[in-house]
Amino acid sequence: METSEATSTGIPSAKLGMWLFLASEVMFFTGLLGAYIVLRAGAAHWPHPGEELNITTAAINTFILLTSSMTMALAVGAVHIKDLGKLRFFLLLTIVLGTAFLCVKGYEYSLKFAHGHLPGTGIFWDCYFTLTGIHGLHVLLGIFANIWLLALTFRKDFLKVLGHRIEVSGLYWHFVDVVWIFLFPLVYLL
Amino acid sequence: MSYGKYLLVWVWLIALLAAGTFVSSLPISKTAIVLLILAVSMVKTGLVGLFYMHLKFERLVPIWVVALSPFLLVGLAVLLVLFGLALA
Repeated sequence: METSEATSTGIPSAKLGMWLFLASEVMFFTGLLGAYIVLRAGAAHWPHPGEELNITTAAINTFILLTSSMTMALAVGAVHIKDLGKLRFFLLLTIVLGTAFLCVKGYEYSLKFAHGHLPGTGIFWDCYFTLTGIHGLHVLLGIFANIWLLALTFRKDFLKVLGHRIEVSGLYWHFVDVVWIFLFPLVYLL
Repeated sequence: MSYGKYLLVWVWLIALLAAGTFVSSLPISKTAIVLLILAVSMVKTGLVGLFYMHLKFERLVPIWVVALSPFLLVGLAVLLVLFGLALA
């Protein structure tokens, strides 16, 4: 994949920068995870799986996010074979699936709000809204990044000069998927 | 990587999602469920990292170091939290 400039390490700066950012993000979510474990262990009561949260809805959302990871990987693959049409198609599909994930999450939140479950109404709900909310913000950021990249694909020199940005955005998107791979069982199944 | 391989990884991810969800409803001990589900999550993470993030084809050592070192720290941090809870 062509990059805008060579580096002394042989690693494109944007790619190395994204990996370093993701490493810091892992530590950020570890802090949240540690707090979740301690708060849950110290709570007098914790709902059983499926008691307060709908496992089927969350499983469908997980299916959506896992599928979006595949379409993002296919978008990166399209850059490698220099197929702009497929790149736009798979990038758009990733944006649509990410938006669908947030819509399902919004629907889930609206049901909780209707039942009076808000942040500040109990330690379980505080953990639930904090973990899923911060993850949701990451998804939103990824959607914005992909929309921006989709717009950039209409530049004539995109594949030659900016193609590597799809790979960088893809790394972020897959990381967001990996975070959900752990959040789904921790929040909904256990 | 061919489109077929990306699709195959996705099939595995969905199968593991179904397996993890199924395991959570099994009439076995909570500890066993936690260990099984975390194992499934780690396999899913491995699939995403190796194939979708292309770590399987990454030949640059610094990328591997940056990608893997946080997970060692995560393991250490979680162990310390669990150790602290056991002492409390």
